[in-house]
Amino acid sequence: MKKVILTFFAIAIFVAALSGCSAKPGELVVYSARNESFVLPLTTAFEQQTGIKVRLLTGNEALVNKLGEEKNNVQADIFFSNDAGAMEFLRLQGLLQANKSPAVAAIDPLYRSDDGSWVGLSARTRVLIYNTDLISEENMPKSLWELTDPKWEGQFMITRGGNGSMVAHVAALRVAWGDERTTEWLTKVRANAGVIVSGHTDIRRAVGSGEYKFGLVNNYYYHLQLAEDKDNNVGAIYPDQGADGMGAFVNAAGVALIKGAPNSSNAKKFVDFLLQPEQQRMFAFNNKEVPLVPGVETVSEAKRIDEYKVMSVRLQDIGAVWADVKALIEAAGLDWDLSK
Amino acid sequence: MPRTVSAYWLKLWRGNPPGIFLALLSLVVGCAMFIPVLYVFVRGLQGGTASWMRLMDTRIPILLQRSLGLALVVTVLGVVIGVAAAWLVVRTDLPGKRAWQWLLALPMVIPPYIGAITYIIIFGPRGWLHNLPGAHLFSIYSFGGVALVLTTFTYPYVYLICSASLKRMSRSYEEAAQAAGFSRGAVALRVVLPMLRPAIGAGALLIALYVLSDFGAISILRYNTFTTAIYYQMGSFDHKAASILSVILVLISLTLIWLETKTRQGQKFYVTKGGLARGAEIPLGICKWPSFIFIFMLFAVSVLLPLGVLGYWSYTGIVRGALDQRFFGFALNSLSTAGIASILSMTFALPVVYLKLRHPSIVSYSLDKMAYAGYALPGVVVALGLVFVFSNYLPFLYGSMAMLIISYVVRFLPQNMQAVEASLNLVSPRIEEAGRSLGLPPWQTLFKITLPVVAPGILAGGAFVFVSALKELPATLLLRPPGLDTLAVRVWIEAGEGFYHAAAPAALIIILISILPLKWMLSKY
Amino acid sequence: MDAKQILSEVKTISAIELNLVVKTYLGSSEPAVKGISLSVDSGSIVTLLGPSGCGKTTTLRLIAGFERADSGEIKLAGKVVSDMSTWVPPERRGIGMVFQDYALFPHLNVRDNIGFGCKSHQRAERIREILALVDLTGLENRYPHELSGGQQQRVALGRALAPHPVVVLLDEPFSNLDADLRAQMRLEVKQIITAAGATAVLVTHDQRDALSISDQIVVMRDGRVEQIGSPRDVYQHPESRFVAMFVGDSNIIPGIIGPDTKSIETTLGLVPCNHTHDLPPGQPVYLSIRPESIELTSEGSVEGVVESLSYTGQSVDVKIRVDQGVNPALILLAHLHPEEKVQRGDKLHFRIMPDFVAVIREH
Repeated sequence: MKKVILTFFAIAIFVAALSGCSAKPGELVVYSARNESFVLPLTTAFEQQTGIKVRLLTGNEALVNKLGEEKNNVQADIFFSNDAGAMEFLRLQGLLQANKSPAVAAIDPLYRSDDGSWVGLSARTRVLIYNTDLISEENMPKSLWELTDPKWEGQFMITRGGNGSMVAHVAALRVAWGDERTTEWLTKVRANAGVIVSGHTDIRRAVGSGEYKFGLVNNYYYHLQLAEDKDNNVGAIYPDQGADGMGAFVNAAGVALIKGAPNSSNAKKFVDFLLQPEQQRMFAFNNKEVPLVPGVETVSEAKRIDEYKVMSVRLQDIGAVWADVKALIEAAGLDWDLSK
Repeated sequence: MPRTVSAYWLKLWRGNPPGIFLALLSLVVGCAMFIPVLYVFVRGLQGGTASWMRLMDTRIPILLQRSLGLALVVTVLGVVIGVAAAWLVVRTDLPGKRAWQWLLALPMVIPPYIGAITYIIIFGPRGWLHNLPGAHLFSIYSFGGVALVLTTFTYPYVYLICSASLKRMSRSYEEAAQAAGFSRGAVALRVVLPMLRPAIGAGALLIALYVLSDFGAISILRYNTFTTAIYYQMGSFDHKAASILSVILVLISLTLIWLETKTRQGQKFYVTKGGLARGAEIPLGICKWPSFIFIFMLFAVSVLLPLGVLGYWSYTGIVRGALDQRFFGFALNSLSTAGIASILSMTFALPVVYLKLRHPSIVSYSLDKMAYAGYALPGVVVALGLVFVFSNYLPFLYGSMAMLIISYVVRFLPQNMQAVEASLNLVSPRIEEAGRSLGLPPWQTLFKITLPVVAPGILAGGAFVFVSALKELPATLLLRPPGLDTLAVRVWIEAGEGFYHAAAPAALIIILISILPLKWMLSKY
Repeated sequence: MDAKQILSEVKTISAIELNLVVKTYLGSSEPAVKGISLSVDSGSIVTLLGPSGCGKTTTLRLIAGFERADSGEIKLAGKVVSDMSTWVPPERRGIGMVFQDYALFPHLNVRDNIGFGCKSHQRAERIREILALVDLTGLENRYPHELSGGQQQRVALGRALAPHPVVVLLDEPFSNLDADLRAQMRLEVKQIITAAGATAVLVTHDQRDALSISDQIVVMRDGRVEQIGSPRDVYQHPESRFVAMFVGDSNIIPGIIGPDTKSIETTLGLVPCNHTHDLPPGQPVYLSIRPESIELTSEGSVEGVVESLSYTGQSVDVKIRVDQGVNPALILLAHLHPEEKVQRGDKLHFRIMPDFVAVIREH
């Protein structure tokens, strides 16, 4: 009997220990939809500076749904997103908490929510990266609608509809085009694309190596590929720049503060930390993004945001239609069916 | 009243009732193993006609076609390769046949998702063979590529079962056929092959079920089947659609199992023991060296290439400092989760198996079958069930390491149960009766006599569970708590980003650890 | 209560008592044991003998408590261990069991096997005693797989005897031994059990085991007791055709009780018989004539021809065809002294000795 009791005692302790460690003080739980290589240097620096242990869960924009699912049993403190639309969607669902930090208030109101619950950290523009050995700038499509042209069949890459940048982009297109035209675009692009991948890194590498002629990415992926030792013969088209063009879509990546977060004060510390100039420079120089804290310089090759025409869509408007857009994407089969 | 209750209890257990503690423990284990899967089923059936219709109209036909097509092609290829290899290695004068016997089983220890990564490194669009003329004609990211990779790493199921069967098959049948004037080729086709039918069926079933359940290799190769679709639905937390797809996948798996048993009925071959099992090797003659090349190529493609690639990238990675503190953290996560899962399954396997073998009844039989639910079904379905159960009933454990470990136990406990059953079957119940006649109550008999005697089986089963948990991908991806990445998850993430130097050392460690229990695995067949 | 009364009281307490015990296995329509009653005296060796499927092993397992009876009562040393309201599990019955395959604990050495059931305070001493008793001193550190069949047998017996059981149960203890060892072990086992002063119940299908080792033999058939008696009783005076044929060989012929009730009228003439169950003259009966009771003598009244013969060393087993006044002809089996030189076709004269002749039930 002794052994039976011992075994169960051990299991009990083990279960208790496990449940105990899910909410230890001195921790920060970050759900991140961003590429791990962008986030990890930031969390590591935060750990070193504050001694707070960061537990990072890297996923994709679908983490928004996980956050909703965990509404009554909150696990995460911070949501690191590629897409302002997703964050605004969370805020509208009542899943975020307000943040009165002065550092947040210092950001342009265009790139944050009014209550400070989410804040943009960097801007990115949706561009077409292309391989200059395979196609010349003149021959490249100049607008997104041209991607539906059968002549591009099998020659370009896009990401899955589950990708946050993609969702926000489609949401913006829907504001411009309406449901019907957007669905048509989605269906045709899904059929036309040479391959549908999960992330943008795949696209920049494949285009760089000449596997495909071009692909739809955020602008900093183009800059990252330019900075590679090889396969760097790439160019970028800012789409829809013509006189009657709707302009390129600019989104902001940022962080959101989760309501009921188990480590709320650590989460606020983390937001302030990210808005410090050193971290902002990390965005600008490591990730080649456009920092949103005023006064932080950018890499030289990145176009400044006033150099091109941008879509007149307000980021917070995307939040309200986010769920509808996901439904459109699903209906077109772009979120689940990767096979060609 | 107590009289009738106890009479009923006795009748239920055919006059041989277990101790209440043993019965309760087994009941808890059996139900715990079954509830998550049951939950998925119930949720799926409650999905509503509209959701079912929507899925039926759109994805289910495509997914059915893809899943079944892939399962069919891989199974056929696997059977052809596996049977040919088994026959060559066991029956003929193939050079080096002793070494081949276990070398050809080695692909078993390479998880197909790791195999897929190495194939991408070689055959991928930016792979080593990228510049070869004609390389662009074959895309690894295609049905053909997925089928090739899955065949390469699953043919050993058929190979192992068939070679074991061939070794046991009496030579008398073949000699009788030869005496009746059949040529060697005709003997192989008309005598040996039909007699291998049960072995082929069992191996083919394993391959088909594996293909239906595989997530890692299929998603890395950008193909889409039921498992990957369920995974993405779960990723976007569309649990209704995920449940519906799971129900269909489960039904397909069960149909396959049923079909296999059905077609095997009335086809029982009793291989007589008296016959001469060892006979002269069949000379291959002019085919000797072509056969050798075939076997060598098989080995090269399924073992040498992947290990070579991983070795190369591991070296590159280690030079670049891949074995840093984070790496050891991931390794520790893997070892601790897999370790605890294997300890738990070693604890829980014996009660269920003991109840089944020593106290046969409808109860113990059902509990045993229920415990197999998580094993027969794909990891994504198990993960889905656990998400349901934990978020509804055990919220304090939701998102903890415990949930991940429990998913390993639900998925792999049956491996431990099989090992325990095999060794308990060899233990005469008389030994336990001897213990009782010497004054030990049943539970002491279990601890003092049965446990020490079946300990090797329990440990072997624990090793299987450890290795399976170490390799496990889909449930880990879906259930791991923040900050707890395992080696398998790192392989998946790093390879997904194309950071092969970071993925390879973790992959190599997983494979090397998996080789350890292969000895047991081979002796099992 | 005076000493005499107490003594008679003790005498009436049997080591084992079975009363109308019935056991049906689940899924079988017919009971394996159909109301068996028997009692075993303290200190005796009793054998349950019968063909396979006769219920003898089930009876043993019922006594041990490995099976539960459907009805009936089982008492060990006067205490009820199983009836409709009582159930004592095997570990509290105080029995020792020797299994057919010995069931030695493979993970324990000889010492720990033997000492397994012993209380700790007397363990070392008891192990020494038992090792000496079963003649295994010096092998105490061996493991079961390092022992010969006979040694394993002795360990099993020693293990069963060590905790001073009320009764030792032996299930086909000799069936795993080859013929030479078997004969030797019969003697040894009997000696050990007697030396230990134990009560033993043994199950076997081999009549030689039963005849050589037992104080009492219980012949069983189809879940019922066919006959209980000493080995000599059972052999010399079988009570049924079944016992006559199962325990040794026998010639069964019909007859009618003679007027003196000490002989039977048969086709072979008047056969002397000391065991007629006091049946009245004129009663038609069957007669069992053991092959040993056929004695060749020139004055023999019966005449027959040697049909076949086999020489076993200990005897010459002859089949004699008798057709004088018999239709159809009778074939009698006779065990003759090995010195008798007979050949096929020889005409023999013999007589039937009364010691191995018994009136039996015909079925």
